[in-house]
Amino acid sequence: MKSRFHLRILWPFILILGMSLIAFFFLYPFVERSIQQHAAASGDVNFVPLFSLFFLILTIGLAVGLLVNIYYTNQHLTILEDLTDAAKELGDGRFQEIKFPENVGDLPEMRELAEALQKTAHQTEEQFNALNKEQTMLTAVLGHMTDGVLIADDNGKVELLNATAERLFRIENDQAVGRSVTEVMRHYSLVEVWEKTKNGYPETITMELGSAHKFLQVVGINLKKDLPGRTMLLFEDLTQTHQLEIVRRDFVSNISHELRSPIAGIKAISETLLDGALDDPPAARRFLVRMDSEVDNLIQMVNELLELSRIEAGRSSFDFQRSKPCELINNAFERMSLQAEKAGLNLTQNCPGNLPQVFADPARISQVFSNLIHNAIKFTPEGGQIHLEAWKDENKVVFMVRDDGVGIASKELKRIFERFFKADKARSGGGTGLGLSISRHIVEEHGGKIWAESAVNAGSKFLFTLPATAGDSQD
Amino acid sequence: MSRFTLDQEIRLIQDEILLLGSLVEQAILNSVHTLQQRDKAAAQRVYKNDRKINAKHYAIENHILITLATQSPLAGDLRLLAAVLVVNTELERIGDYAKGIAKVAIHIGDSDFPIPMREINMMADKATSMLHRALGAFVAGDLEAAYSIPQEDDHVDELYRSVYRKIVECMIKNPQYIDVANELVWVIHNLERTADRVTNICERTVFIVSGESIEFDVSDDELME
Repeated sequence: MKSRFHLRILWPFILILGMSLIAFFFLYPFVERSIQQHAAASGDVNFVPLFSLFFLILTIGLAVGLLVNIYYTNQHLTILEDLTDAAKELGDGRFQEIKFPENVGDLPEMRELAEALQKTAHQTEEQFNALNKEQTMLTAVLGHMTDGVLIADDNGKVELLNATAERLFRIENDQAVGRSVTEVMRHYSLVEVWEKTKNGYPETITMELGSAHKFLQVVGINLKKDLPGRTMLLFEDLTQTHQLEIVRRDFVSNISHELRSPIAGIKAISETLLDGALDDPPAARRFLVRMDSEVDNLIQMVNELLELSRIEAGRSSFDFQRSKPCELINNAFERMSLQAEKAGLNLTQNCPGNLPQVFADPARISQVFSNLIHNAIKFTPEGGQIHLEAWKDENKVVFMVRDDGVGIASKELKRIFERFFKADKARSGGGTGLGLSISRHIVEEHGGKIWAESAVNAGSKFLFTLPATAGDSQD
Repeated sequence: MSRFTLDQEIRLIQDEILLLGSLVEQAILNSVHTLQQRDKAAAQRVYKNDRKINAKHYAIENHILITLATQSPLAGDLRLLAAVLVVNTELERIGDYAKGIAKVAIHIGDSDFPIPMREINMMADKATSMLHRALGAFVAGDLEAAYSIPQEDDHVDELYRSVYRKIVECMIKNPQYIDVANELVWVIHNLERTADRVTNICERTVFIVSGESIEFDVSDDELME
């Protein structure tokens, strides 16, 4: 408890003391005269000293009483002042700064007041902390939700926008709160969903948002039970799902097309044979050879599909071993050089002898090289050049198949590793469209990366990496 | 006259303009999409949707005239409502451009003319993005954005020239496509004009905030055309 002296409580005591002294000095002559006259008339003893003594004792008693009173009043006022300060801190919610007086005096009322205030402060702090915790949790949940959340009142004023919705509508919560839903969402379909939900007809729509081409699923929820007069809109970003759906649709469409062509060929040949070609053995043989070739195409496609599916499902076995990069390149070079020569192309290789060994399945890497070189042969005009090269880059070895062929447009470049994707459908006929997809999976299974660099009419570079084994170089 | 009522009416009108803007924005994107997909049925829907845009345009015009008559706005409020009338008309015209593109999509149908869709999509995305931001700046009175957005018009003009050259080259090589190519020139013209109208909206924003009627400079390249 702080010790303070409250001057404002002195004035009544000083007044009483002053009045007593004035009364004493004014009355003393009259009383003395009266006592002396009475003593002279009656011959009694003189009472004046006794009277003076009585006044003196009375004055001292009064002064002492006043001082005691001042002390106690001051003490209680100080306690009250401390309790008032504590109540103010409580009101402002500064629980850590509340200081209750250690000594609350002897008055039971004062003790009760202090105890009641302490209890109130404790309970309020507990409730405040609980609310704070709940608020923090709610903020954390809303902030980390992948779905956007917007809450608006019945007048269409936005009351809350979470971080995802902020990014979606490119507006911060502080700026959005108090603005109209139209101004924040800026799309008639979204405003319609809000209006219908507000009127008791909750709606869910899927839509494309503006030039950003974001696909959204919007769910309207009327909060009348929990928060009367409030409507919530949830925004789920389906852009990625939509893109996957396009890939799936393309896949189904491509596989149908790729299967239909050889099957249609076989059907046509079998009909021709049934229609009489069987009676002409040389012609029948020619037809059967073509049929056999179409069946081979079908088998190759089905095998590649199965292979891709096995690799994707992680069911394909790899025989990893320490391999020399130059041997991998040389094997591919020797296997494909005849094919390149037939196409009138110049196949070259360059592999420095000091490259570290890589951890690879030689048969699978050979398959990757075959796919890449086969593509290069297909898309490079006669007289062109195909070059194989390898070099070390930090803790990996980079392999490259470069051609000076027709190249690939930039927008197609990012899709060429998709199943059945063909950059130039007119010129890539014959292939299954699965080679690059399989190659990507094989390289990724090795812990490497595959990519392409190209531009239209500027040739193409296909590069892939394989992790180098620690330590040695190959020679 | 109540200040509160006038403020409320102005806010409602601004919201209506933003809604019309979003209708128009979507119409442009949808029309280009139908062209890309060669989807006649969808193009017809975009074409018919123009009626909705026109109805909204007239409703806003009506709302503005009633507000002018009943609230007698002065100074900044009067400038704002006058500007909204102009912007309302600009948006209706952009809606007509979308309708025009949808009409071309219907005419072209399944033609195998190689439409340079990548550049056309880029033009549409750029023009609608400019429109979106210009309307935001118009409602917020954002002078900085109103001055910067029209500069992006040069990018749309550049794309226009590039696509135009491609179409003409294709027309020369394949005279049988002259009709289709000619229609496509209208598509890119409409997209280029959309960006120009966005510039007009930005001029109105400057007018509201500063009271000045300015005209953003037409680039020298455009004058050479």
